Amino acid sequence: MKKHLISHEPKVVSLVEKDYTFIDFLKTVFLWEIVSGLGLTLSALFKKPVTMQYPHEKKESKPGFRGLHALVRKPDTGEARCVGCGLCAAICPSKCITIYTSEDAGSDKVVDRYELDILRCVFCSFCVEACPYGAIVMTKHYEYADYSKEALFMTKEKLLKNWDNYVSEEDAKVYFKKFWAPREEDFESHEGQAVFRNNRQQ
Amino acid sequence: MMINDTILNIIITIIKIVVILSVAMLHVAFAVYFERKVIGHMQRRMGPMEVGPKGILQSFADVVKLFFKEDLVPASADKPLFYIAPIIGIAATMGSLSVVPFFNGFAIADIKVGLLFLFAMSSLGAYAVILAGWASNSKYSFLGGMRSSAQVISYEVSMGLSLVGVMIMAGSLNLNDIVAAQQNFSTKLYLIPQIIGFFVFVLSAMAETNRVPFDLPEAEQELVAGYFTEYSGMRFALFFLAEYIGMLVMSSVAVVCFLGGWGLPGFIYSMFNGSAIIISILEVLCFLIKLYACMFFYYWVRSTLPRYRYDQLMSLGWKILIPLSVFNILITGTIKMFVN
Repeated sequence: MKKHLISHEPKVVSLVEKDYTFIDFLKTVFLWEIVSGLGLTLSALFKKPVTMQYPHEKKESKPGFRGLHALVRKPDTGEARCVGCGLCAAICPSKCITIYTSEDAGSDKVVDRYELDILRCVFCSFCVEACPYGAIVMTKHYEYADYSKEALFMTKEKLLKNWDNYVSEEDAKVYFKKFWAPREEDFESHEGQAVFRNNRQQ
Repeated sequence: MMINDTILNIIITIIKIVVILSVAMLHVAFAVYFERKVIGHMQRRMGPMEVGPKGILQSFADVVKLFFKEDLVPASADKPLFYIAPIIGIAATMGSLSVVPFFNGFAIADIKVGLLFLFAMSSLGAYAVILAGWASNSKYSFLGGMRSSAQVISYEVSMGLSLVGVMIMAGSLNLNDIVAAQQNFSTKLYLIPQIIGFFVFVLSAMAETNRVPFDLPEAEQELVAGYFTEYSGMRFALFFLAEYIGMLVMSSVAVVCFLGGWGLPGFIYSMFNGSAIIISILEVLCFLIKLYACMFFYYWVRSTLPRYRYDQLMSLGWKILIPLSVFNILITGTIKMFVN
């Protein structure tokens, strides 16, 4: 059996590693540490400040930034892409999405109301990832502070307007395809799995 | 004709007072701006940028804001003392401005005990601090006032002793005479022979004006704002003004006693021989450049050093600075005795 050699006696470690020399003495007398600190601050005085003058100069959001939500418009009809499946509402951790649907005369599902309370949103973008149609995205826009709660309570119309206002065509490509990878384009089921969404084959 | 001379003298003095006071007030506005800019850039920030070009009018905006603020007096405060404390503070520091010579022969009161008067006035400033701390009836103000009184009294000693060397060398307490004596001295400045005195004086002046690293009376982390915690609006502004004019006074004492005051190099006097106005202007400029170098040093130290602990502050004052200044007096006196 191997014995572990562990000494339980405290080991004395000298905090003063070398002797106190004459140079150390001179450094103490002439306040060398303070002088070198003053030198550091003086050199910082001539460097460029790192401040960004925010309202006057703004930072461009990085690709993939999770800003204000928007509902995607179909390019051909101008309607919302949302079909009202409710997956976004189901996955939302803060339960801030509420969808009300009904049936129209031809027994199709119609999204009556799509409500999103920005004040409760945690900007996790699970809704974007969950959406099988890529119908909801998060835009680059982040300056929407307001005095009223109503302005930050998003309805379907407001969310569609966000798409018009804050998502350009390039943004749509970058955000929509590269980062949020909508399932309708990337989703590949293995052989033998029951495919209940038919849109890929069409 | 005697009466006419007296009246003329009084009028000239009043004009001088008005000029000095208005310049000092403006100086405070720009000294605050200068401080915020210097400290900002030393911390890689920009300092005030919004009011006026590069934020130059920020101090005036602050003054306007302070004017329109509500004048709050705590219900349990000792009202007369509470009202009178900032006035004592501002009067004491403004009073010490009256003996400072800004150029040759220019001082509101060219008195023979100029330096003693300065000491007296800066000690009076301590009353404002203590009274404000006591009258506010708040624990933070009280602790700030107590700390400040102990600190000011301790450092008063070393500051006085550090200037004794200058007094011995100049043979006078009059600030004009001290500058003139430096002009006749071989190095033109008392900085070189009196380097120990200068070192002690700079540290004591920082402690005296409650600046970093000796700003224990207004240590934000512990005491909110120290002795003026309960003050707001214009009463707070008076304390603020007193602090910055105190810095101005201490810097000008350093300039007058150690850095040669308004004295210019000899060749400039011979170059503009005869035109007194140009020489006066150059002297004022020389004085102001030195003054602002001293103020810059205050700001520089403020942005570099952390605050001393209270016992460290006291032991620095009593165990290091006072022995050093006594040693300095000893050496200066001995050399003076043998040279003469």
